Amino acid sequence: MSLEEPTPEDGAVEVLPTEGDEIADLLGDLVVDREEHVNAPGFVIRPDTVQETLTRLRDEAGFDHLSCVTAEEREDRYESIYHLTSFDDRQREVSVIVPTAKDDPVSESAEPVFRTADWHEREAYDLIGIDYDDHPDLRRILLPDTWQGHPLSQNYDQDRPQIVTLKEWENPLAEDHREDEGDTMYVNIGPHHPATHGVLHVKTVLDGEQVADVDPDIGYLHRCEEQMCQTKTYRHQIMPYPDRWDYASSGLLNEWAYARAAEDLNDIEVPEYAQIIRTMGAELCRICSHMLAVGTFALDVYGDFTAIFMYAMRDREKTQNILEDLTGQRMMFNYFRLGGVVWDLPEPRDEFFELIRDFLDDLPEAVEEYHDLITSNEILQSRTIDTGVLPPEVAKSYGATGPVARGSGIDYDLRRDDPYGYYDELEWDVITEDGCDNFSRLLVRMREVEESAKIIEQCVDLLEDWPEEERNIQANVPRTLRPDDDKEIYRAVEGAKGELGIYIRADGTEKPGRFKIRSPCFSNLQTLPEMSNGEYIPDMVASLGSLDIVLGEVDR
Amino acid sequence: MLPLQSEILLPERIAGLLGLSGTVGQIVGGLLGAFLIANLLLVQTAIAGPWAKRKITAAFTDRIAVNRVGPFGLAVIIADAVRLLSKELIIPEGVDRPAYDLGPLLVPFSALLGFAVIPMGNGIHLADPETGAVFAFAASSIASLGLVMMGYASNNKYSLIGGLRAIASNIAYEIPLIVTAASVIIFTGTLQMSEIVAQQTEPLLTIAGVTVPQWFAFVNPFAFVLFVVANLAEVGRNPFDVPEAPTEIVAGYQTEYSSVYFVLIYLGEFIHIFLGGALAATLFLGGPAGPVLPGFVWFLIKIWGFYLFTQWARSAIPRLRIDQFLDVGWKGMLVLSFANLVLTAVIVGVIA
Repeated sequence: MSLEEPTPEDGAVEVLPTEGDEIADLLGDLVVDREEHVNAPGFVIRPDTVQETLTRLRDEAGFDHLSCVTAEEREDRYESIYHLTSFDDRQREVSVIVPTAKDDPVSESAEPVFRTADWHEREAYDLIGIDYDDHPDLRRILLPDTWQGHPLSQNYDQDRPQIVTLKEWENPLAEDHREDEGDTMYVNIGPHHPATHGVLHVKTVLDGEQVADVDPDIGYLHRCEEQMCQTKTYRHQIMPYPDRWDYASSGLLNEWAYARAAEDLNDIEVPEYAQIIRTMGAELCRICSHMLAVGTFALDVYGDFTAIFMYAMRDREKTQNILEDLTGQRMMFNYFRLGGVVWDLPEPRDEFFELIRDFLDDLPEAVEEYHDLITSNEILQSRTIDTGVLPPEVAKSYGATGPVARGSGIDYDLRRDDPYGYYDELEWDVITEDGCDNFSRLLVRMREVEESAKIIEQCVDLLEDWPEEERNIQANVPRTLRPDDDKEIYRAVEGAKGELGIYIRADGTEKPGRFKIRSPCFSNLQTLPEMSNGEYIPDMVASLGSLDIVLGEVDR
Repeated sequence: MLPLQSEILLPERIAGLLGLSGTVGQIVGGLLGAFLIANLLLVQTAIAGPWAKRKITAAFTDRIAVNRVGPFGLAVIIADAVRLLSKELIIPEGVDRPAYDLGPLLVPFSALLGFAVIPMGNGIHLADPETGAVFAFAASSIASLGLVMMGYASNNKYSLIGGLRAIASNIAYEIPLIVTAASVIIFTGTLQMSEIVAQQTEPLLTIAGVTVPQWFAFVNPFAFVLFVVANLAEVGRNPFDVPEAPTEIVAGYQTEYSSVYFVLIYLGEFIHIFLGGALAATLFLGGPAGPVLPGFVWFLIKIWGFYLFTQWARSAIPRLRIDQFLDVGWKGMLVLSFANLVLTAVIVGVIA
């Protein structure tokens, strides 16, 4: 790690309460009960003190990142868990648990404190059925408005088919203006539109060429991923699913999110050799994913299938081929296993290393070409600089992570701040840009590709010299994993799009009691109205492209 | 030296060959001549649209493109024609007919009309009125009307925005285009196309035994660049493809068109590109003039050169935002084109 370690002299860090008891002191009477999660201390509070608690934690203890909101229904109560952490020190974590009564699940909304809670609580309402008081806009988010029941609640009848016909559901595309009078025009961008990168529906109000209001409508690609993971066993059955969240070639990064959470839950140590392979594979995926992001962003700004898009796809194809050699699959890798990876590097190893080295040797030239074609292009600069501005405080409040946060100058990267895998043993830098605009986000991705290449190169060096008898790819993991009842964990990794977190509550069986995915795209997409209101339509499209969302991960 | 521009126009020649004279000869010759030239252009568009465009873009973007049917994939032209024409013609609810149907017709016909006065060399020249240059610009501008009709009649908001953008762009860039063309007219003192071409055959200077003709692109390269850029906006190619802007407003004014109408619109766009090339060639590149090869071949080379240029721009340059696009038009191109006009007038006035 070339970056400075936080020094112990740094007074500000030391004063902040981090230990469970310190936080308990801070919260005082607000705490009703204590819990211990694997990742963090948990504090049970009353449902009407959510805002007070979160405000105090944010302002006085520096927990400025509401990473995730998990909701679940237990035997005797409903529960919302706010997973808080800090942008400055990711390893400080705290869970705030808000139980609500079975017959009247009403809890105070956290939206006034953290704006990211808006969508997270809407999802909790949609899937679990908890009502949030004081929420500005509590309506369903993933399912259609006419849906009956809350699919992840306990009394939900999963066997009853619900077909929502267009007639039953008042067609949201039919409206053509919001008010009877007014000079604005209401346009549906999507669900089928060239610039939405999938089935995203952006309800847009236009004032001439300018965007007066945007409201992203998601859920078209909701595939019940959380529910499916809850019906599968830890050991083998869940692993294929993460590949399908962010399917645009970040498969291994997603798998790592599950692997990390499940391994920490079950106290599994991963052998060093496997960690290096994981790190290398994950960074290849990151390059793949960033190449696609850069290419499609250029496509959004250029407007036609231009050279830069095809060049990005060409280079992405090379990583895709390496990953195919490594995992046997092009997209849906299913390569990680709890405790390691499924198989060793492909034989002959020399040829495989040669392939990676060829790619790494060609990469600087390719990146140079991109800079020639895009970042140094004056038209592109005038299109992207100072458009889609996302100030750092706003980004933090919305829980934006990954290149979106780093493009706003937030120095936050889980690979460094909450080290896992082999990252802390390697030399690389966290990239940040202070522009807060579309151009910065583009630059961050392009520069991160180079950092990933550095990491891969070091991994290849290590793997090449690794003694043959110590090539241990898999820890000894029991055939059936049954973590203790009520053991809870929230763990995240740095996915290609940002912080990809998994919350698992074990219920004593071989399947998770609750499996919650914190998707970085979900939180990042929430910032779209902040970036686009008042801008021109093309800038809104560019901002959407610069967020680099994958709808499979937004909707899960 | 053979005269590059024959005195006899195409309709007269056809009438002569058929042994007709008088009004009948004029009508029959004119119709047959128009038929010939229109087909000539349609054939070129057929090559340019389904085949050349793909091949050129593929070459720019490291791909192979069509290569399955026929030699070099050329038979894809037939396959595509059949495919496009056999598709269902979907007329959305609530469209404003007949404007909806007339729009796609206006676009290609206005461009074809413009070709009536273009001298293509080897006697292929349909009409040569004294106001030739004005006629060509006027005819090609009719297309804007078609675009508005399409945008407004489609009952689709993307179409509406696209139609409005098309008008904004046509107004913003047609003025610089015509003003720049006017600077050539100052040199020639005539609007007649054959005369403009004839004047460009005069030698400008001789370098090492090679005589450089007095093409206005050599005389006033600045005006030529302005003209080509404004032309790019006229035909709506990057960086000026704002009216269509696929990633913003789906396809602009043509969003709701399918099948035959779609073909007509694309046909119109391509003929417009060729017309833009033909105007640039006639006004700035000596029309069909060129060494060794016959004039008509040179003419084709020039308009295809322009076509290649538009495809190059499309593959390599980002699109401007609508406000930047209009800024460039009104604040940049307009000022420069008037400066060019005034400067040319002063210089010509002083020399002459």
